[in-house]
Formats: sequence, C-alpha cells, structure tokens
Amino acid sequence: MPNAFLTPELLRRLEQFQLLAARRAKSSSKGERRSRARGQSVEFADYRNYVHGDDFRYLDWNLYGRLERLFLKLYEEERELPVRIFLDASESMTFGEPRKFDFARQIAAAVGYVALSGFDRVTVVPFPNQPPFSELKDKGVTPQAYNMELAARGALRSVRGKKSAIQFFQNLGVLTAGGTANLNEALRRGALEARQAGVAIVLSDFLDPAGYEPGLTALVGRGFQVNVVQILAPEELSPTSFGDLRLVDSETGGIQEVTFGRYRMKSYQVTVQNFLQRLREYCQGRGINFFTASSATALEELLLRQLRQAEVWG
Amino acid sequence: MNFLAPFAFLFAASIPVVVVFYLLKRKRVVKLVSSTLLWQKFLSETQASAPFQKLRKNWLLILQIILLIFAVLALSRPYFAAKAKPAELRVVILDTSASMEATDESPSRFEKARAEALKWVDGLAGSDQMVVLQAGANTEVKQSATSEKAALRRALQACVCSDGPTRLVPALRMAESLVRDQRNAEIHLFSDGAVPELSEFENKALPLVYHRVGKSSENLGIIALDVRSNPENAKERAVYVGVANYSTNDQQSELELLLDEKLIETRPITVASNETSPQVFKAQQDHDGVFTVRLTAKDDLAPDNQASIVSLLPKPVKVLLVTKGNRFLERALRAAPNVELATANDLTDTAAGFDFVVLDDVPPTVWPQGNVLAIHVVNTNWFESVTRIEGPGIVDWKTAHPVLRYVSFDNVPVAESLAVKTPNWGVSLLDAPQASLMVAGELGRQRIIWIGFDTLQSLWPYRVSFPMFVANAVDWLNPANAKNEQLIIKPGDPFRLALTHPEKGAVVIRPGGATTTIELDPNANEFVYGDTLKQGTYRVRLSTNEVTFCADLLDSAESNIKPRDELQLGKYTKVTATTMQRTNMELWRTIASIGLVVLMIEWWYYHRRTV
Repeated sequence: MPNAFLTPELLRRLEQFQLLAARRAKSSSKGERRSRARGQSVEFADYRNYVHGDDFRYLDWNLYGRLERLFLKLYEEERELPVRIFLDASESMTFGEPRKFDFARQIAAAVGYVALSGFDRVTVVPFPNQPPFSELKDKGVTPQAYNMELAARGALRSVRGKKSAIQFFQNLGVLTAGGTANLNEALRRGALEARQAGVAIVLSDFLDPAGYEPGLTALVGRGFQVNVVQILAPEELSPTSFGDLRLVDSETGGIQEVTFGRYRMKSYQVTVQNFLQRLREYCQGRGINFFTASSATALEELLLRQLRQAEVWG
Repeated sequence: MNFLAPFAFLFAASIPVVVVFYLLKRKRVVKLVSSTLLWQKFLSETQASAPFQKLRKNWLLILQIILLIFAVLALSRPYFAAKAKPAELRVVILDTSASMEATDESPSRFEKARAEALKWVDGLAGSDQMVVLQAGANTEVKQSATSEKAALRRALQACVCSDGPTRLVPALRMAESLVRDQRNAEIHLFSDGAVPELSEFENKALPLVYHRVGKSSENLGIIALDVRSNPENAKERAVYVGVANYSTNDQQSELELLLDEKLIETRPITVASNETSPQVFKAQQDHDGVFTVRLTAKDDLAPDNQASIVSLLPKPVKVLLVTKGNRFLERALRAAPNVELATANDLTDTAAGFDFVVLDDVPPTVWPQGNVLAIHVVNTNWFESVTRIEGPGIVDWKTAHPVLRYVSFDNVPVAESLAVKTPNWGVSLLDAPQASLMVAGELGRQRIIWIGFDTLQSLWPYRVSFPMFVANAVDWLNPANAKNEQLIIKPGDPFRLALTHPEKGAVVIRPGGATTTIELDPNANEFVYGDTLKQGTYRVRLSTNEVTFCADLLDSAESNIKPRDELQLGKYTKVTATTMQRTNMELWRTIASIGLVVLMIEWWYYHRRTV
C-alpha cells in the first residue's frame, strides 16, 4: 500500500492498533464499537418482556421452558467511533525542516489509517478554509489544483473503511497550507458540526495570538475525547539566527525587532518551555492527552511509543 | 580653575567618535518567521518585570566593573614615591647657557631639561614647595617658593636659553641660601655639566641633585678671537682665531673671514679631535669695522660657529713722560708701537692733550685727569697709608693681568720701595710680604698703574721684562684700547658706554635687524644695555654717533658640550648625575590607558557575541 506519508513497515505495525475510546460510541451508524444502543450483535445485553410483533428469533426458549413466560433477549448494537482530525493548515505550518505541515499530515495519515482499519469514520478538518480561487490565482495556483484540493477537502469530511485508505492518503497529499488560521474558531465550529462526539485529534503549532483555550474547551464540552499534538519546528525551539533581527510574522505580517545572541539562547528556551508547560497543564486539567514534538522527531517514536503509552491507541 | 594635565582635553576628540557610533543606524536583518508569538513572550519575560534579578555570570558586567575600577583608580591619581625621598622644598636650577642649545637631544638640551623639570612640577606633592632659578649669564629667580603648580609651570615656560656662558656659582649661592636651615630641601640642577669651577661649594654639603641632559659632543667651535695690527706689517690687521674640536673625530670645515659682512677669505681647516687650531688671517683695513669669522660645517652647537669683533684703526698714542731723566724708561716708551712721546720735568696742568701721563719719581703740581703710570710718587687720594720698605723681597706677581703679561720679576732686586695696602679700586700686581709694591686699577674712569719703587733703584731696567712691561702698560693705559675692550662682551653681560654729553634716547639694532628704542635720563652719564642674550653684532645709535659692539661666546667650557656624568665641586667632592625618578610619579595615565584597552575589549566582546 504505497503512499508518501507512511512506510509499508509502519503501516503494518499500525494495523495492529485500534483507537481506544474511553466512552461508548454514540454514532448512529453501525460499526465495531460497543454502544449503549440495542441492536444485533453477538454481545448479550438484557432481557425484556415480549410484546406483540417482536421477532420470534430473539425469544429465549429456555427461559420460557422454566418460567412459561416469554422474554426477549436483547443484544448490544455495535456502532462506529467518529474520529475528527483537526489539521492546522495555516501559513505558520509551512516552516521548519522538515515542514511542520508535512509532519502533521503524517500523523493525520497514521491516525486515520488506524481508525479506518478499525472501521471507524474519519473526518479531517483542515483549517483555515480554502480561500476563494481569486485570492490564490496571483500565487500561481492553477484551477485544476484548486479544484483538486477542493474535492480532496470534501472527500476528507467523511472517510470510512480500510479500502478508502489509499484515497484518504491521496487526498491528504493534495492539501496545501497557507493563510491565517483561527484555531479557536476552527475547533468550536468542528465541535458544533459533529453529529456525534468521538475522538478528536488536534494537530497544530498552537502559535495563535488569540490562544487555544476556547477551542479546546468547546471540544471537551461537546464530549470529545481530545488528543493534542503540538508540532514545533527545530528553528522555533532553538533559533539559529543571531544578531540584530527584524522578524516578520508569516501570518499576521506583524514586525518584531530583536537583538539575539547565543548568550540569550537559554532565556529563549526557558520562554518556550514555559509556553509548552502552560499548554500541558491546561490539557491535563481537562483530561486531554497532550503531546509535543519537533517536526524533526522520528515518526515511529511518536506513533509507536508516545501515543501508545498515552493509550491513544493500543 | 587650573588643570594639572590640560592635554587630557585632547581626549575630548574621542567624543565625536562615540557620537558617530551612535549615529550609525543598526542594520537589522529581515527574517520571515512562522510566528512572532514566542519572540514576544521572550522579550516580555526578559524585560525587567521586577527592579532586581538574580545576578548572573556575565562577562560584559565583569568587564564594565573592571573598567570602572580603572576609572576610579585613575581619578584618585595614585602615585608612588619609592624612588626618591620626599622634599619639602626643591630649588630647580635650569641651565640656560649656550651649551644647552646643543641639538644632540631633540629638539634641544634646554627643551629636554625643561620637560624633565616640568615632570618634577607635576610630581609635586600637596604642600611641598618649589623655586625656579634660571642660570645663564645672570641668575634670575623665575618663581619664588610656591606649591602652585600652574605658577611653577609658567615660570619654567618663561625661561629662555641664551648664547652666553654658564655662571652657575651665583645660582648655586642663591640656592644654597634658600635651602639653608631647611629640613628636607633639595637643589635640582638641570644641566649638561658644562660649567666652570665650583670649588666654592666643596665643603658646603649641598643637597645637590644633578640631572644630566645631553648625549653626544659633536662640536667644532670658535673659542678665541682677537684683532691687532700685524706685527710684521703695521698697515695690515691680523685676526687671531682659535678653533677647537670637541668631537670624537677629526672635523673639517671652512673658516670664513668677513669684514662688515663682506667675505674676505675662506680657508679650509681640519682640526683633530680634542685639539685647538690657531688661525691667523691678515687683512687690509682702511676704516673701522667689524671682523666676523664663521665656521660653515654643521654641528650640534650653533652659537659658537660664528664670532665677531670690532676693529678700530689704531691711532697714535700721545704720552707725556714727566721725569728727571730716565733713559731706560724713555727708550722703552719710544720702542712701544705707535707712541708719540713728549717729555717734561714737571707737570703743572691736567695734561688734557695726552692719552696718558707717566710720572717718573716726579710729584706733579697738578694731578692729570687721564690715565697715569705713577712711579715712586704717591697721590694721597689713592691709598690709605704708605710705608717705606728697605730691600723688599718680591714674593709674587700676577702674570695673568694684562699689564704683567710675559713679565717676570725673577732676579730683580729693589733697593727700597714704598709699600701700600691694596686699595679696593685696584689689584696688587707685585707683592712683598704683607705689602703691595705695584697696583693697577680703575679709579672712576681713570686707569692707574702705581709702582712703589724707583726703577733706577732696582735692576729691573736691565732685565728684558722691563720693556715688555712698558709695552703692556702702554696698551693697557691707552684709552682707545680700553674702549676696544668694552666693545666685545659675553652674551648676557650688559654693554656699558660712557656718555660725553646728555642723550635723550638711543636706538639699538640687534643681530637680525630688530630695533629697540630706549629712552635715556638726560642726567645719565652712562648708557647701559642689558638685553644681549643672543650673540652677534649690536649697533647703538645715539644722537651724534653710532657705536658698534659684539656679543661673542668665545668660551671653551661652553663649546666643550660633552655631557658630564659628574660635577666636580673642588678637588675632592663630586656630584654624580642622578638616575632618580621624580617623586610622586603619577600613575593615572597608565591606568587610564589600561581602562581604555578594557573598554575596547568590552566593545569587541559585545559585538562578537551578538553576531
């Protein structure tokens, strides 16, 4: 199963995993997850009195033999687990070596593949939304590419079944990053749009001046089991540009003048750690799984060790 | 307000440099980053949110503290006085004689000595005092005792080097009187050591510190100059020149003779090291004028490369011999050159028509007004007491005096003589025990030679020294010669000219052409001009006549510019040139220099680590 994001070896190992949901699935569609709904499966759930019109096949004849009363056996309905992947596709994700956006798509592909393998429904929500073509025309975007991405975004809204994995990967590959993202708005809208809560994976650098708290709170409040993966470029963790700098924000265009030297590296790293620590504490306070990774981190380390240890999947 | 180191204001020139540094706009590198969020947080966290923070190891901080330490040290003006004992009074004697003009030190020995003396002024501690004496031809107190450094510095700057000889004795005498009875007093002499005899101070235990200046002694100089009639040809003039070489090598030069600035003769000469070469020029002269001799070779000392002398044409000397008959004396007088001799038995008037009068054992009725050679006659105005001695033994005579030049009294018995106590107007030339038999001197403007014995009562006329004495006496008593002697002076000495009638003023034309007008007191009978520090020919223009005189170094002690390591005070005492450093040597300059280096290191470090 060739694709640009994950190696066959990694895919093979990922196939062994299944997303672990702490709560029962609330989806209305059939799947392989236990749910509170009653339906047809092999898992016995309860008895109830027979009423006129019930299917005789589910009558417990053994019980009728002992008690001479008709009881109907009820089984748990197996439903699917909706998995929503919030993928930050803003301009800031295009930085780093390798690019943060590429790294995020690799994680999205892995999560999506695990979910699809478990017959779960996967929804990828790239944000910000694709701007009108007229805005991208000046940047050399062809109508074909634009339409292809538009179609891919549409297709990624709902993917199900392991057979869709290849298409899923292709659609992820078509996505591009650019523009200014509003993380809170994207998460809040994603929470509202979801018909059923499920597992939410947020892939972003969380470098939004407006913060992240309202968005994550909305997801948790909607009942999502939220996993946050913060992706930062190596350059953001340990800058390599020194001297008198005029820094231009890629998304807002804001300018920050700074005189930076090696002697201030430690102070900068303390600032970054403080920022990460605040985000981590916020997530821990709301039962959100939090991961942080440099875009240069080995993918296997994150997927096979950290996510597994945190019981995102198992 | 005074400044100890006004040159420090030159550092103000660095202020514009600093301003330029700040005028330079920082060129920032534009860089596109994913987000400035982290940078904003970084800047807000590193900016002071509290007035104090934990002190961290920072090399910039350490460098700035070191810089401050150096600055504070420099401002406190530390010094150490380890190499010289403290003195409460220092008498600085600055030698301003001609030899200090030598250029073996740059720019000259005098400037070097002055700079060294100025350093001692800088090093003067709070209450210590200093006196500045200028020792040239005359000693001048440039600054009396004071602790005020600005005044001392001004005094040293006001010192001027002259072309004259060193007369250190009066300066040392004055310094000695200043340091006498003073505790911790020192005399600091800044000189090259080319000084005359100082034996006067042999046993005075002077607290003298000798600061030697000078390095080498490459000098060829004129040390003697005289002009006379040529003994071989009375129509010609003979110019006698002595050229001495005080260099370590033989020296060659051209010796030029000029009469009234016109070149007459040029003669190449070679003078061996430490030798003197006598040179005689013969020249025709038909009017009074100035002979100038000049050495063309360049050497370390310029003032002794030229000398001038006024040459007046000889006029007949009119002599009146008043005698009862003395053939020896008469023949000796006639033998003297250029003498018009008249004889008489008695003198009844002032003999105004004669240049001088010889009274040979004849007391005059009226004493002459002019110069007199008095033999065995006594004027009671001349001496306090006169005694008679039978067969006096001659014990000493002064051949250094021009009257007794080449004259000897060996084997000259005298039958009897008048003897006098040496008067204060003259010197004794011939001594018997406790009495003087011959006196020469100047009483008022009258030159007198007095001899106590009748020459015919001795064997002197039979000796060869007698006609020599008479010739010398004619020279010395001739008023024209006396006048000639007055026309050559040492630089720095005053020029004196007797005025025959009242003058209102005089114009002095100095060497180089500068003129000075001097107002004279109408009652003055003498013109005195003192500003003769520079050697050369001076012309004094009076209402009726013009007088020319020359100031010449002609001093072998000055021409020998070899710097002396020791000053000889008499036979047994000597003062070695000091290696002593000035006291209270200030260190702030050194410290400030180190501070500047630290500042530059800090600047370099700051820029290195931000790049």
